[in-house]
Amino acid sequence: MTALTINGLAALSAAGDRPEALAERATALAGERHPGVSVGGIVTEDLPRPEGHALLDFDVRARLGRRGTSFYDRATALAVVACGDALTDSGLTVDDTNRARVGVVLGTTVGSLKSTSDYTRETLVQEKPYLVNPMLFPNTVMNCAAGQAAIRHKLKGINATVTGGPLAFFNALRYAGNAIRRGYVDTMLVGAVEEFSAHRAWASASGPAGGEVPAGEGAAVFVIGGGADSAGRATICAVTTGYGPDGTAEQALTDCVARALHVAGAAPTDVTLLATSETSTAGTRPQRAAALRALDGHVPAEFVLSRVAGDCGAATPALALAAALRLPADGDRSGLILLTAHGTDGGVGAALVRR
Amino acid sequence: MRRVVVTGLGPVSSIGTGVTAFGAALRAGRSGISQITSFDPSGFPYRNGGEVRDFDPAAWLHRLPTDRWGRSSQFAAAAARLAAEDAKLDLDAVDRTRAHAVIGTTSGESVVLEALTARLVEAGFDAVPPQLVEQLPAGRLAHAVSEELGLRGDSLTLATACSASNYAIGYAYDLLVSGESDVVFAGGADSVCRWAHAGFYRLGALTEHACAPFDRDRSGIITGEGGAVLALETWEHAEARGAHVYAEVLGYGLNCDANHPVAPDRDSIAECIRIAHRNAGVTPEQVDYICAHGTGTPANDLVEAQAVLEVFGANPPPISSIKSMIGHTMGAASGFGAIASALAIEQGFLPPTINWSHPDPQLTGIDPVPNEARPATVRLVQNNGFAFGGNNAIVLLGAAR
Repeated sequence: MTALTINGLAALSAAGDRPEALAERATALAGERHPGVSVGGIVTEDLPRPEGHALLDFDVRARLGRRGTSFYDRATALAVVACGDALTDSGLTVDDTNRARVGVVLGTTVGSLKSTSDYTRETLVQEKPYLVNPMLFPNTVMNCAAGQAAIRHKLKGINATVTGGPLAFFNALRYAGNAIRRGYVDTMLVGAVEEFSAHRAWASASGPAGGEVPAGEGAAVFVIGGGADSAGRATICAVTTGYGPDGTAEQALTDCVARALHVAGAAPTDVTLLATSETSTAGTRPQRAAALRALDGHVPAEFVLSRVAGDCGAATPALALAAALRLPADGDRSGLILLTAHGTDGGVGAALVRR
Repeated sequence: MRRVVVTGLGPVSSIGTGVTAFGAALRAGRSGISQITSFDPSGFPYRNGGEVRDFDPAAWLHRLPTDRWGRSSQFAAAAARLAAEDAKLDLDAVDRTRAHAVIGTTSGESVVLEALTARLVEAGFDAVPPQLVEQLPAGRLAHAVSEELGLRGDSLTLATACSASNYAIGYAYDLLVSGESDVVFAGGADSVCRWAHAGFYRLGALTEHACAPFDRDRSGIITGEGGAVLALETWEHAEARGAHVYAEVLGYGLNCDANHPVAPDRDSIAECIRIAHRNAGVTPEQVDYICAHGTGTPANDLVEAQAVLEVFGANPPPISSIKSMIGHTMGAASGFGAIASALAIEQGFLPPTINWSHPDPQLTGIDPVPNEARPATVRLVQNNGFAFGGNNAIVLLGAAR
């Protein structure tokens, strides 16, 4: 398999609107958990807890202006800004000669849960059920963020939205890799986004991990191309996904990691950092255990994004990768980053990225 | 290069469940439209929908525990089970790690989202049952297929709105062509819901009684639902087990308008047609039939027809819309289109556009196969799918050679 190069990246998270901010916070925490901040200022509804990991100062108009942004929801705004920042970081100029060859694929859980639920709410609480705002209707559709990113940055290549929650970024990487290898596009903006809202905070709190970490938000986007000019750049060596029916997700994840090592031609000891999508780091950690089983006793350093930036849902692995690629150079920055995810049910994925 | 064939069809639709019933209804030009019952439509000026009234998941599902899965996931899983049975595929003889599920959707588990929202409106967030939250993630549509059929390969739900099934079929095609898989269950699923009904009404895109694509007086869509899944295999895999082949997937094309969130774009759609033809290695004059996106809105049908005329010239092949029969099934729509296309090739007929009564002077040259199915030799079909977000996707299906 041809490796794909990461030619640029962006990450917006509660730590700030640059990937370095997230990396710095992770370094400063040294494995401790960030408690989050009071989010009452940006959410009017009741919350399961007062803290969250939100970008309190995020203002899409300050970043992109008023034009075209007035109907963006938070997820769309975060994604569109991240796509622009990633393009800038890559140095790629999009013009009429190449815009049909540049595409976008973004990962999500359900799109903007708040936009969709609020829209449905209007059909229940208005005097007539059809008194909804037609301008907000596209926000209820899960491809809103990717479609708006294409409009904003004028990207006419393949435009896709993949789901899967924490697994979505792995689906997006595979989708993008296929589009490039099949020759449909030259460059893909690949990322994932999740917004903070009361809806998500409650959903996160009622999830299997029981809200051990507060809900978070963020978007991370990577500009990915074929391997022609890979000197000095991070490369995506392998991305594998699979499904474990009948409650066999853990075995399926071990198999995914083993397959990723095989595809990358790597040994377990080449892995220097493990980043899981877990939102619970207390007690047994089935995802970590499943990954380590494939590493044959090798135990790399660990980075759990949710301890740094909260439960960022679909954005979790993408933010983890962005932070890992921007960790300060004093530690062991060589070797492979192993990213893993368990979505819902039997859905699992793994990726190996060379720094 | 590996070839990809369609060996099983799984429609769960308002005009019939299973390939025999669905195919007969297409030929008969049956309408699946009725007054909506899944929610109370009485407050809406327009109350018709394309509901799968007789959907009985337990009758089709062997393994999926229905109480843990939402309606759209059940549609996807039932459609995939039907496709597997239609393909006479012995799943125990398949390498399950090389068997994938790729499902497209617009609104995912919309019925679950509405139940959740109703609860929080009544009693607040903390009264929402965790079971509803658990059923919400859209990724579960493909997972339902993987769980029902015991597949261990990729389990991906693509959320590219109303062209999502064509995205799914296209990605499945690539997974098979590139040697990553032997079998892929690909298609889409969606459920009728209040919010989409309200949103399309307020956009002015909903019609009151019947959807009449390409008619002069067409006035909009009817919201519909269902599951549409195709069993796709490599030609080698299908041949080795002596499978019946409906059609060959020749390729597909995707592009993005990057222009407007909801309005279709003629030039961009024309370009998508050219991309699809190029990728599939076909020329316009080889196309015998176009299974239209054909929503029945004034804008879509005009723009789609103009794009077709631009690429094909003044005399394009017949172009009909099965949405006239089943309504707009959203993420399942181009999956139903692909099933209809495969049946058109295999059984030699063109599905009609029903509810058609007046030629549109703006659509000169367009033959919508009005009202009655037409016998025809169909070797090559172009299946159109367009969507919000400018997500255009076109799949080419050809007769098996």
